[in-house]
Amino acid sequence: MRKGIFLIVGMALLLGFSPAVNAADEIEVALLYPLTGPLAEAGGRMKAVYEVAAEVINGSYDIPGIPFAKTEGIPDKGGAKIKLKFYDTQGSPEVGKAETERILQEGTAKLIIGAYQSSVSKPTSFVAERNKFPYLCGVSSSAALTERGMKYFFRVAPTDFHDSRMFFNFLDDMRAEGKEVKRIAMVYERTEFGVHAMKEVKKRIEESGGAYELVADVPYEYKATDVNAEVLKVKAAKPDVIIHASLFSEMTLFAKAYKNLGVTSNANLSFCGGYQNPKFASGLGDTVEGYMGSCTFAEDFIQKKAQLKTVNDMYKAKTGMNLDGISMEGFTTLFVAADAFNRAKDLSPDEVRNALAGTELEIATLPGKGVKFDESGQNIWIDSTMSQIQKGDYKVVWPQEWATTTMIWGMRP
Amino acid sequence: MQGDASPGGVPPLSEPCLAKRGNFVDSTIFLQLIISGLLIGLVFSLIAVGLTLIWGVMDILNFAHGDFLMLAMFAAFILYAQLGIDPIISLPFVVVLLFLIGLATYRVVIKPVLGYPGLIALLATFGLSILIRNLVLFVLGPNFRVINESILAGKTLTFAKLYFSLPQSAAAVICVVVTYGIYLFLSKSKFGRALRATSLDKETALLMGINTDRVFALTFGLGAACVGVAGGLLVNFYPVFPEVGLNFAILSFVIVALGGFGNIGGAFLAGILVGIVTTVGGFFVGPEYKYTLVFVLYLIVITIRPKGLFGW
Repeated sequence: MRKGIFLIVGMALLLGFSPAVNAADEIEVALLYPLTGPLAEAGGRMKAVYEVAAEVINGSYDIPGIPFAKTEGIPDKGGAKIKLKFYDTQGSPEVGKAETERILQEGTAKLIIGAYQSSVSKPTSFVAERNKFPYLCGVSSSAALTERGMKYFFRVAPTDFHDSRMFFNFLDDMRAEGKEVKRIAMVYERTEFGVHAMKEVKKRIEESGGAYELVADVPYEYKATDVNAEVLKVKAAKPDVIIHASLFSEMTLFAKAYKNLGVTSNANLSFCGGYQNPKFASGLGDTVEGYMGSCTFAEDFIQKKAQLKTVNDMYKAKTGMNLDGISMEGFTTLFVAADAFNRAKDLSPDEVRNALAGTELEIATLPGKGVKFDESGQNIWIDSTMSQIQKGDYKVVWPQEWATTTMIWGMRP
Repeated sequence: MQGDASPGGVPPLSEPCLAKRGNFVDSTIFLQLIISGLLIGLVFSLIAVGLTLIWGVMDILNFAHGDFLMLAMFAAFILYAQLGIDPIISLPFVVVLLFLIGLATYRVVIKPVLGYPGLIALLATFGLSILIRNLVLFVLGPNFRVINESILAGKTLTFAKLYFSLPQSAAAVICVVVTYGIYLFLSKSKFGRALRATSLDKETALLMGINTDRVFALTFGLGAACVGVAGGLLVNFYPVFPEVGLNFAILSFVIVALGGFGNIGGAFLAGILVGIVTTVGGFFVGPEYKYTLVFVLYLIVITIRPKGLFGW
């Protein structure tokens, strides 16, 4: 009898203290995104895509190339379901830090996913690192985030290093075809995102050995009321190519001002950000016809990967919009989390971190093989393509193996 | 619509005229900077005129002023998107709507706190600002809205290699007309005299038979109507979203202080000054410093002349 009581107490203690989960359990993921404030629109789209990803993981869907779609929940954790809990950063680093502290104090989440802006991902991931808690970054692009020697920080999205490398590979191709691309103007917001994008562009120009020249360096303050000074600075420099690192509101102002002030160039390229917001392509008509930018997903990817139509339809039903690169990066991020939970010995922060570090997830959502992190925590299996706005839609135009249509060359107001 | 309004007009200016960091700035670019600064400055002016009007008469700094601007932009956008009414056509409706919102704000939020220390009214408008912004966020969502096709939107006039954005030019012209109209109204009409009397000495105005409560209500309505004009025009070239008013509100406060609290002419000129400083200063010093330049100018002015450039 006493032996039986000991056994029951022992089992209860084991169940009580073990971070392992049972079939009926849920695995909580804390998500840090701007749900109110100036970036609430972007945050809302991220929320929608994570909900779609959770539906696919928790339910049973026949989507070839996407692991955890067919099975319900996390298979090796007894089919435990992913539970999403959103925390509002309001787009502010300070609020983001406070919310991260709250997540850690609550102690129910097994992983943090965040945060849209690099300037928020940076301090929030510091808080997680200090507390030795795993942090999976979905979409922030500043290369500096994975150059900090952190152990608990991992990023799925390509960085401004990948994007700038892709831009200059693209420009090399254009140069080889005899197109004028030497004179570069760089326009960027003075935030973590913009400043690092600029640094990467400068590095690529220095590495080119004189093939390219930076003729205008135009930083601006985020939340600008007008951009006439910036645009006239670009115009005065007479660039062949304009490169942007801007969010939606300012990107809209720039596009209109380029047209209103008669700025011409051969190409207008954008890092992720405002360019990738589907409203930018659909809402601004011929003002943005021919704009190009880095792209990890556009609707016409479905021509190459038909199985993604199901995911796109689910997202469209929630938002009324097609998936874009950033939202597809978010979608993929939750599958990286699911894969780590599935392989982790238990769901303690260290085991989840170790599982993330050992990720080799082949998933057919983004260009590239899938997700594998290097020692810095950066995904090295990711790739990027060049899309272009044509008649209100994003079309992949480069490289050739992903291109679905012919590129428009030359931006004329 | 894009074409040369006067092909045989002023010959193009292209010779370098100004030295800049070892390079040269085309004189056309310099003229364009002045024009662009003037056009955006006039929009700033109109936003600030409404704010200074309320301050001048009631000694209340309306923190919800930027949110009134946002409401005007949303009203114009909704009329455009749902009923197909062009923003320039819907402008009178938007102005009347904002006038009514101003009146309602006075009755519901401001009147109950009149007579208490000024900070109470300031906090009341601050609370109203948060309420309006979050209500819009809740009801209409955070999405950005853009009007790309309207009578004015997306059109440019060119003249001697200089570009005039039609929406901004129209906004500037209407701003001048409206500000002058308000000036005439305040200086020539009976109500204007009552308003000025109330602003100078409320108690004496009351003794002279002026209904100061009515004056206050109409002042708040008029201030909101001004921002209604600005919002109804701004929607042609600026994205609409719940936070849009914040971008302009801070500049408006600076313009009101620069021009002299309560001085309509001062706000008008200070708006133009701020527009030119952000554009020309931003070009020569660096776009990242353009707002810093405005605040440096503001600090210099209030240090030398605490009542602002045109205050008394």
